[in-house]
Amino acid sequence: MIRLPSKTTLTIVAFGAILGLADVVPALRDYKVMDWRTIPGVLDFVDRRPSVDPELEERQRLRPETNPYKQIRYPILDPKHTLDSFYQALLQTEGKKQGEVVRILHYGDSPTTADLITSDTRVLLQKQFGDAGHGFCLVAKPWAWYAHRGVDLDGSGWEIDPANQSTVRDGLYGLGGVSFRGGAGATARIRLRDRGHRSIEVAYLRQPGGGQLRAEADGKELGVVNTDGAVRGSGFARFRIPEQTRVITLQVMNATVRLFGVLLSKDVPGVMYYSLGVNGAYVSVLARLMNEGHWREQLRHYRPHLVIVNYGTNESAYPKFVDYVSEKETLEVVRRIRKALPDTAVLVMSPMDRGQRMTDGEISTVPAIPRLVAIQERAARESGCAFFNTFEAMGGMGTMGRWYEAEPRLVGADFIHPMPAGAKIVGGLLYQALIDGYNKYKLRLLRKRTMVASN
Amino acid sequence: MLLSSSAYFIFLIAIFFLYWVVARSRALALAAILFGNYFFYAKWDIFYLFLIPAASTVDFAIGLGLGREKKRWARRALVGTSVAWNVGLLAALKYMPFFLENWSAWTGQPKPEWHWSFPLGISFYCFQALTYTLDLYRNDAKATSSYLAYLSAVSFFPTTLAGPITRVAALLPQLERKDRELSGEEGGRAVFLIGLGLMKKLLIADYLGANLVNRVFDFPNLYTGMEVLIAVYAYALQLYYDFSGYTDIAIGSALLLGIKLPGNFKMPYAAESVPDFWRRWHITLSNWLRDYLYFSLPGLRSKWKILTYMNLVITMVIGGLWHGPNWTFVVWGLLHGVGLGATRAWQVWRGNPRPNQAWWAKGSRIFFTAQFVCFAWVFFRASSMENAWAVLARIGSMSVSFANISAPIAMVMGIALVAHYTPAGWYKGLSGIFVRSPFYVQAAAMALLLLAIHYVAATGAAPFIYTKF
Repeated sequence: MIRLPSKTTLTIVAFGAILGLADVVPALRDYKVMDWRTIPGVLDFVDRRPSVDPELEERQRLRPETNPYKQIRYPILDPKHTLDSFYQALLQTEGKKQGEVVRILHYGDSPTTADLITSDTRVLLQKQFGDAGHGFCLVAKPWAWYAHRGVDLDGSGWEIDPANQSTVRDGLYGLGGVSFRGGAGATARIRLRDRGHRSIEVAYLRQPGGGQLRAEADGKELGVVNTDGAVRGSGFARFRIPEQTRVITLQVMNATVRLFGVLLSKDVPGVMYYSLGVNGAYVSVLARLMNEGHWREQLRHYRPHLVIVNYGTNESAYPKFVDYVSEKETLEVVRRIRKALPDTAVLVMSPMDRGQRMTDGEISTVPAIPRLVAIQERAARESGCAFFNTFEAMGGMGTMGRWYEAEPRLVGADFIHPMPAGAKIVGGLLYQALIDGYNKYKLRLLRKRTMVASN
Repeated sequence: MLLSSSAYFIFLIAIFFLYWVVARSRALALAAILFGNYFFYAKWDIFYLFLIPAASTVDFAIGLGLGREKKRWARRALVGTSVAWNVGLLAALKYMPFFLENWSAWTGQPKPEWHWSFPLGISFYCFQALTYTLDLYRNDAKATSSYLAYLSAVSFFPTTLAGPITRVAALLPQLERKDRELSGEEGGRAVFLIGLGLMKKLLIADYLGANLVNRVFDFPNLYTGMEVLIAVYAYALQLYYDFSGYTDIAIGSALLLGIKLPGNFKMPYAAESVPDFWRRWHITLSNWLRDYLYFSLPGLRSKWKILTYMNLVITMVIGGLWHGPNWTFVVWGLLHGVGLGATRAWQVWRGNPRPNQAWWAKGSRIFFTAQFVCFAWVFFRASSMENAWAVLARIGSMSVSFANISAPIAMVMGIALVAHYTPAGWYKGLSGIFVRSPFYVQAAAMALLLLAIHYVAATGAAPFIYTKF
């Protein structure tokens, strides 16, 4: 005889019946919690072993072709060939001619602040074209999150004003969007893991009553910078540093000194890729918060060949800003850069995917992201800039949900910030897109020369 | 197949009916459980269908040998083989990548590839399997001659992923008994435990994990020191509710089949000292470590008292490493080992005085023990030593802002704290009311709970934290 426990059996059957009510009673349809179609899934014996290398799998998913000429790549949209000046500089650098350095400025938000994505693109470009130095970095950490691969920062005694959280609000934040005010004793220590750097350039504010700053390399004095000046303006002090220098120290000797950052260079041709991130930044940091004249001075001093404008993740939390303000602000940023550097290429780079947890538990793309990407693409086209669709290149809608499910994860639990492996994928995509454009430029050049020769 | 997933409950209900339909026949009932065990393993990876029976067969054969053999050296050889076999399995299937990575780091040689990684539940399986041969060797249990009963017990599916680590010798009599039945009271308690476990897991643990803990531990430098500190406390709650939720579901699932499993928690954050914490947290693991590892280490009765302290540290370091192949677990185990040793040394030095029972003294002991436990949890949760230092450095920055601690997070943490310190008797009372309720009330309560989980949690079921160990 069968020995079914009666009460428990009845409880289970009644429980199933109550759940089933939502399927048969129309009024209860909104309370449906059981999807009966999932029952056969119990017999599904698929392999659930975690991936050994999710980064590699994601790369393969994005580019399933092993033949590099057939790989699916998201190209940079640049119908007017506005990046040609940049490609030309790359071509000259590739020839390893002494003094040929390509400078790229990459403005962005929190991933850029931590040198995620940018450090990966930097490594790849420098591998191909040469390493001309780390480039620009701030003198201390405005946020614990601030990081530059290959450079360790340690500062004390500074009053730090990021452009978007400033107490001074005068718009003078140097190239990197942050200013550091320090009295006597304020110190910045910059430890270099790569000992091939041969010069530093300190960026500061020249101002009436400005103090003096001592620069040292491994404890040996390089010189003293006097920041006193009749009028306020950008100042730069360049020093040669001995070979194998490990630590650069900057110390305020007297009065108040206002610093913006330091440029680390080598003596060899190659690429310098400046990662210029401000935590929590949005496009208005460049369009409104940076003083236009001061920023222009800075941009002209550093003479970049390419400026990348990469915002949008923070904006995407504010749909009204996306729909009514972001296009105007993007156009204003391009206008400011063009006014400062008429011959420099500008690339608008869209934000990555940004995920959010939906009521059904799924992680899907924040609705404003695709709209913002479309707006940025239009702004880039209207202003004659190149455009890179990071969002589509990394897989489009739902990418962060997929990245979150990967093991180990490719994105953090906020579905915004990529883990280092995820950042490497995006950095690789940007590099691939730049190199695609560069190769096409070389082809065009070759065709032009062939035509001239045949004529 | 997670114990909180709908697939698991469909599977459990199917096994429930299958088991009770054939319960009159001992062999068929055991076969039903064994089918459930291997089906459960196969859902993770088909390879387990070869691995687990093979591993179990070796221990069963050793068990038969231990049951018959009287010679001391032969018994030692047999139990030694069992220990080597199970530890070898653990080393090969779970720890080899860790060993190879460290070997590569120390020697500078490239890391050899290793494709035989099947870490899921293997720690629990091996520890459970060892209870059988070690108990037989110590004459604390009798060998079973039933291959079927042994296979059913050693891989009993509710305990597969995260315990409670149950002595095979305690499971066997329950599986082999003839008078199988499930009273209405037991069935009601099983359903209540499953519901309670789901609430703990999906409404508290997953919520805290998804909305605070995971975010902060992923990128501690994006948060203020105070937010990171709160996230560490939130993790302490998440881990407790996740693991005790799992345990409740496992105990409830076993009880539906008439099998009683041991409890695993007794209000752990009310512990007054580190040893007290280990009498309240993951009780079956601490009992296992005490009975099978600590008591087996040499020097317990030595005049060199230092050996006792060293053994405590060694036991806890091994216990830490058992949780996973990562240095963070070694540090976590080391901290608890030192904590246990220091407490014992202090008590010995003070002549084992009775603790002051004044409320403030008791409260201080609970507070400081909880701080120590939470500090150690940082290493337990961190993805690497660098990550652990980053978390501690952020807390050390003393920066203050609560911008990322939303009102719902604070509310869930508050509820979790109150629920944790609620006397066990209250839960028993609640369970009694549920058990005495008619079947339709029980069914309606469960349906309402499911609805609440569906609408309130809405984060999808995250994997149980302890299934990774």
